[in-house]
Amino acid sequence: MSENKSNISWLNSFLIETGELAYFTGRFFKEVFRRPFEFKEFLKQCYNVGNKSLLLVGITGFIIGLVFTLQSRPKMMELGAESWLPSMVSISIIREIGPIITALICAGKIGSGIGAELGSMRVTEQIDAMEVSGTNPFKYLVVTRILATTFMIPLLVIMGDAIALFGSFLIENIKGDVSFTLYFNEVFNSLDFSDFTPSTIKTFFFGFAIGLVGCYKGYYTKHGTAGVGVSANSAVVEASIVLFIIDFVAVLIADIFYSV
Amino acid sequence: MEKSIYQKLKLGIFVLTGITFFVIAIWLIGSKQNLFGNSSDLYAVFNNVNGLKTGNNIRCSGIKVGTVKSIQMINDTFIVVKMSVESDITKHIKTDAKAVITTDGLVGNMIVNILPGAGSQTTLQSGDTLRSFSRIRTDEMLNTLSVTNENAALLTAELLKITKEISSGKGIVGAIIKDSTITDDVKQTLHFLRKTSYESSIAIKNVNNLVSSLNKKDNLLGVIRDTALSNQIKNIVSNIEKSSQDIETVINNLNTTITSANSTIENVKDGKGVINYLSNDATLVKKIDHTVSNLDSAMIKINTAGIKLNDNLEALKHNWLLRGYYKNLEKEKEKEKIKKK
Repeated sequence: MSENKSNISWLNSFLIETGELAYFTGRFFKEVFRRPFEFKEFLKQCYNVGNKSLLLVGITGFIIGLVFTLQSRPKMMELGAESWLPSMVSISIIREIGPIITALICAGKIGSGIGAELGSMRVTEQIDAMEVSGTNPFKYLVVTRILATTFMIPLLVIMGDAIALFGSFLIENIKGDVSFTLYFNEVFNSLDFSDFTPSTIKTFFFGFAIGLVGCYKGYYTKHGTAGVGVSANSAVVEASIVLFIIDFVAVLIADIFYSV
Repeated sequence: MEKSIYQKLKLGIFVLTGITFFVIAIWLIGSKQNLFGNSSDLYAVFNNVNGLKTGNNIRCSGIKVGTVKSIQMINDTFIVVKMSVESDITKHIKTDAKAVITTDGLVGNMIVNILPGAGSQTTLQSGDTLRSFSRIRTDEMLNTLSVTNENAALLTAELLKITKEISSGKGIVGAIIKDSTITDDVKQTLHFLRKTSYESSIAIKNVNNLVSSLNKKDNLLGVIRDTALSNQIKNIVSNIEKSSQDIETVINNLNTTITSANSTIENVKDGKGVINYLSNDATLVKKIDHTVSNLDSAMIKINTAGIKLNDNLEALKHNWLLRGYYKNLEKEKEKEKIKKK
């Protein structure tokens, strides 16, 4: 009986949270076009999201490029398809690995950061104070952060892709004497707008989801300081799940538009 | 405040870098599809495009010159392929150039390959239609291959039968492999063949020596080859010919003589004339024989008488009565000799 009750309460809380998230999203879209625009705060958040994550994304992307090429190279050589390695690596990185890895890292770094920051602001009643002082906390804290992640994640993904491809080129150059020109000719010969466009569009959604989940979790933090940790943790977990769901949907939609 | 400007600068660099990468990627991918350069549209009509897709590459002499812009089916046998080709390249494509759909590598994408024309023709303009032909398709190739496979299976089955028979020692090949006596025979034959060939090589050597010696003049053939000698031989032959003609006339004469002799003999046989009488009458022979013997004795007597007469004549020469006469005779004889001189 108690188990059944807990199941119902879990489903109940899931549905409530989904509904709250939907309201939260609706409120974001309502606030985003309404004056005054917190441009300064937006730039600050952009700096926090973009510049401060670049090193992490760069290192991860570089290592992914290296490792991916190193791992695929022996098998491709076994098949005698060594010359297809740049094409294979570039398509994998541009289409899937680059966006999803970058987004997951950002979910971990930025999502948890936003969740913890807004959560601590909530539990220390800074948000309430903002409301009292006449500043719209949603607009100042949430809209700027969500916009920043939405616009910065795609840039981070593009840079991460470029660094990953460079890492892949380094391995190809060291192991197989492939020139820079030849490698990138191969890469862009195999790439198409059908590879590039959907993956770039979906990164905007990734950024939006990371900011939205992080802000939502932080904005509605409960149960004091212990809740801050929960908010930060659940922001990462839920953002990651949402990222994969968006990725799946994006691939389905891209398949409809670019199907052959 | 300073920190804020520094942050903005860094953010600006970050955003610009990101956008630059984005633009470069768009440019590179777009230029591959001729989105930014000047391009001309060319058409080609095929009856089967073999899975060609919009965006597939166009190649001319191995260089990528454009992409497939659209594929439109006019009816069940005509499919029009619209191709976007770089304008700089179009001037090198002549009106007799041909378009053919092939694969890029063994398992690669389909491509349209433009095969250049003779070069003396006029160049194509934008909107022109290229001539096209279809290469043998993979499914057609596979059909042919399946027939070949069936034939190969039949052949191998037959081969299996043959090899079984050979291994069981049937037939000539089987006998050669299985029967040891044949091997010995073959070995022996080979031995003799080797011997024969050795000896024949010696013989050929000798023949060679002979032939080379024939070129010298110290032998029969050399003599024959001598022109002076051959002229002499010719003379001899002509003389022999003459002689033979003479002999022929002699023989003819002899023939006539013999015929006349024959007729004489015939007469003799018939008992006409003296010869027949002489040869056939035995008493006459006896008489003649007797007469001859008488003649012999008479001749002997005459001889003795002659000798006696010679003695008498010698005695007369020395007789003083007749000595003068004989001296005169001798003198007259000497006078005649002087006169003759």
